[in-house]
Amino acid sequence: MVGIVLVSHGNMAEGMIDAARMIVGEMEDVLAVSLQEMDAIEDLMGRIEAALNEVDTGDGALILVDAFGASPFNASARLAMQREKTEVITGMNLPMLLELAVQREGQDLETVTQIAFEAGSSSIRTLSQTMKKN
Amino acid sequence: MPVIHIRMDNRLIHGQILVSWNSAFKISHIIVTNNVVASDPLQVTLLKAVAPLTAKVSVLTIKDCVAYCNSPEAEKENIFIIAKYPEDGLAMVEGGLKMPMLNLGNQAFVRGSKKISNTVYLTESGVKALKKLHEEGIRITCRMMPNDPDNDYWPTIEKSLPEWAK
Repeated sequence: MVGIVLVSHGNMAEGMIDAARMIVGEMEDVLAVSLQEMDAIEDLMGRIEAALNEVDTGDGALILVDAFGASPFNASARLAMQREKTEVITGMNLPMLLELAVQREGQDLETVTQIAFEAGSSSIRTLSQTMKKN
Repeated sequence: MPVIHIRMDNRLIHGQILVSWNSAFKISHIIVTNNVVASDPLQVTLLKAVAPLTAKVSVLTIKDCVAYCNSPEAEKENIFIIAKYPEDGLAMVEGGLKMPMLNLGNQAFVRGSKKISNTVYLTESGVKALKKLHEEGIRITCRMMPNDPDNDYWPTIEKSLPEWAK
């Protein structure tokens, strides 16, 4: 199974796992890494790498980060560019993680990434748009 | 003035730059300058990939950065320089770049460094570099965000790390 690592500013990543647990229960091979104010990028990279090694059981890993271009992304991207079977997706949100929790088993990294992308982007809606459709 | 801001930040281009600083200034060109970073193709590729829509990104050695900022091309631009360490700032000044102010952004812990605040750890050589800049009349500031006060930060360094600042 493709492993998942969530990387964020502050405790958002832990919070995402905590929130997802309320909906889908415990998730296997999912870990959170937080950037703290005093962290050097190299320290953050070390923690992400340790998490990747733990969740990647041979099928690769997908890193979910909060924002494109920010330090969690930069650190993850530097690692992913030097590792086999590692992808990074930005703009992580709860529906993205939930869909991964229930759909990633038996899928390869490319498919899992596509599932995350579609779930994450299609989940952003406004109430008024939703009402108009019905 | 073509160079509008000079920041020493280990994280280089990251969230604070892309969101807060980029919306506070009309930045047209972000120059990342550090000799090690400029010679790492992976970091150069990545830094260019995270460029905001409104600014271009260059990754240059200190020497090339100074030469570019002193060239006529730079006159038309609003340049935001990001270097990694205080020593980079000193190298820029010694290389011939005029600057009224040098801002410390994130300076994470590295071996041998001492803490001033949660976001600023300095090494002895970093403090010595800042001292020289201070003595040249360059105002040292420490602003994570554009709204942070731009008061003189040298007295804080002197008070926190007197053994290195004397």
